[in-house]
Amino acid sequence: MSWHGIRTVAVLELRQRLRASRWAIVLGVWFAIIGVVTVLTNLTLHDPLVDSGPAMYDVVVFFVLGLGMLVVPSLTATSINGDREHGVLATLQTTLLASADIVLGKLLAAWAIAAAFLVTALPFLVWAWFEGGISTGRILISLLVLMLVLAVVCTVGLMFSSLTARPVASAVLTYLALGALVFGTVIGFGLTNFLVTEEETLRVYGIPDDWWDTHNPPVDQNAPAPAAPTQPLEPSRADCTTFERRTDVAHTERIWWMLALNPFVVVADAAPSRPAREAELNAGFTPMRWISAGARDARAGAPHGVQQECYIGTNLQESPDPLADAAARSGPVWPFGLGFLLVSGVGAALVAERRVRTPIRRLPNGTRIA
Amino acid sequence: MTMAGGPGPGGVRGGIEVSGVRRAFGDVLAVDDISLTARPGEVTALIGPNGSGKTTLLLMLASLLVPDSGTISIDGHDPVTEPEQVRARIGWMPDGFGTWDALTVREVLETIAAAYRIPAAQAHARVEALLHTVHLADLAERRARVLSRGQKQRLGLARALINDPSVLLLDEPASGLDPRSRIELRDVLRSLAEQGKTVLVSSHILTELQEVADRAVIVARGRSIQSQRLDDGFAASALASWRLDSLDPERLADFLQRIEVPARPVPGGMLEVEAAGEESAAQLLADLVREGIRVTAFTPSQGALESAYLAATEDRQ
Repeated sequence: MSWHGIRTVAVLELRQRLRASRWAIVLGVWFAIIGVVTVLTNLTLHDPLVDSGPAMYDVVVFFVLGLGMLVVPSLTATSINGDREHGVLATLQTTLLASADIVLGKLLAAWAIAAAFLVTALPFLVWAWFEGGISTGRILISLLVLMLVLAVVCTVGLMFSSLTARPVASAVLTYLALGALVFGTVIGFGLTNFLVTEEETLRVYGIPDDWWDTHNPPVDQNAPAPAAPTQPLEPSRADCTTFERRTDVAHTERIWWMLALNPFVVVADAAPSRPAREAELNAGFTPMRWISAGARDARAGAPHGVQQECYIGTNLQESPDPLADAAARSGPVWPFGLGFLLVSGVGAALVAERRVRTPIRRLPNGTRIA
Repeated sequence: MTMAGGPGPGGVRGGIEVSGVRRAFGDVLAVDDISLTARPGEVTALIGPNGSGKTTLLLMLASLLVPDSGTISIDGHDPVTEPEQVRARIGWMPDGFGTWDALTVREVLETIAAAYRIPAAQAHARVEALLHTVHLADLAERRARVLSRGQKQRLGLARALINDPSVLLLDEPASGLDPRSRIELRDVLRSLAEQGKTVLVSSHILTELQEVADRAVIVARGRSIQSQRLDDGFAASALASWRLDSLDPERLADFLQRIEVPARPVPGGMLEVEAAGEESAAQLLADLVREGIRVTAFTPSQGALESAYLAATEDRQ
């Protein structure tokens, strides 16, 4: 393996791809679609009281990720078996290029094209930045994570193209694998939620459930009306006690990892739109923050210790956003998801390298060498 | 360039040594038992019917496929255990050469040169020289897609030569070539052999091969059947068919019957006889003329190699 070899293959791939298709048009369409979505987002969510930057930013980043996951597999999912069909892979394999050179070169080329798509979307992220409410650091982190996620998508496509004889099969398998990551994880989380939910006794500090019965008994319609209508009693903080309550508790701390594998969760959680404690004032439409908080809440799982529910009178304002509260209880989930994706990516690259290595001992059915 | 002729360093013999190689794809036995030797400085022809295992053998020689059993040595290196060493020494031209459609002819060759880690300046000169050798210089800036089949074959040959290999493996190099290109290919192969390279050519075009090859290996049903030197002695002694025509067909037939030379009529009204070697053919012609038979045609119907090939593969078709 050498940088020279990787570069040779990458240059070859880029030349092939850039000349074979009309990339200017593809990038133009891509730019136009993202532009339309961004403008619509801006029109819909523009509110003089709220910074519309985070909302625009969330929409654009998710759109780039979603569309990227549709486009990027087409760069690699037919790369190796397509070359085999055209009889050009063996041409490289009989030279001094190592199999790792071929795999990494193809990967680098696909990644560079994915980066070109990202760069095309950059003006809209800059626009969102000008709208205010998001930091430059946040943009850089989410772009970095986005690039890493797209690199993993490239590698998975490359692996499937090395495993199957037909380009159609590898393209379908790649989309299925991505579908499992994006939709499968959410569906799996939703379904297993029932399995980890059980009735438990929680200790709560607050107004006991029977307080209202005791102090404000239901008015008897037949009784004579009281001489002076009494003001119904309001509980005060002094009425808060610690008591036990039977309730359903979902132990999502056992299944949160499914959400963490989702590329959208990884990107959202790596750079949520703003620190949760500032969120109430200018919340707006911030899907990334919601996803991030939801995933962290799932990781926090079932509540521990005594539940604080004594929000009465003066401290009502302190009543926190339950999501933000739970999210604060657990750490970020994206390092786990990104770690998993990167390990999968490395594994996929190793499989592809193994399958491109020659001389071949076992030849799968339907595969041709040259 | 290292000359491949004679014993290499460490007393290792150059050229190609294949012994008892076997390779199956699932239930299909592509190569059953092939042994052959191709020496440096010689053009060795690999001939055999379709599906006889020629291409599979070349894939194994080109370090792409592992044989199930048997050994291969390319300039003393094993393609399975030392693929790097073998790849540095071979030039492989596959049957039906695929190429990167979007690249120009020059870019294809420069890419391959880079893949052999040839420095750019050196590669440029090498590519330029090869473009002239295969007469593609005026198409150098064209996309490889627009090349005709024959032009693609010539590009494939240039590609195989780019690393100045000492062993050339050419799979059907003449297919799709026009007559002029065939003659040029023949000259290229001869000059490569004269430089001391080992040239192994698989082909169906036997008359072509007879003129260029020093040795022929005939394979059928995955087995090597016969290895034959194709020198003057071979042409002088090999059994060949000759076609005769005469103004007196009856007298010709009578005479042949009298001297007990079996003859059979062939389409076109001619008679075909077999003669072992050119000497006996010439003798037969002299006898016919002395007898006063007015011979108008006396021509070899098959080359000696063709006859040997047909004889060797007759019972196997």
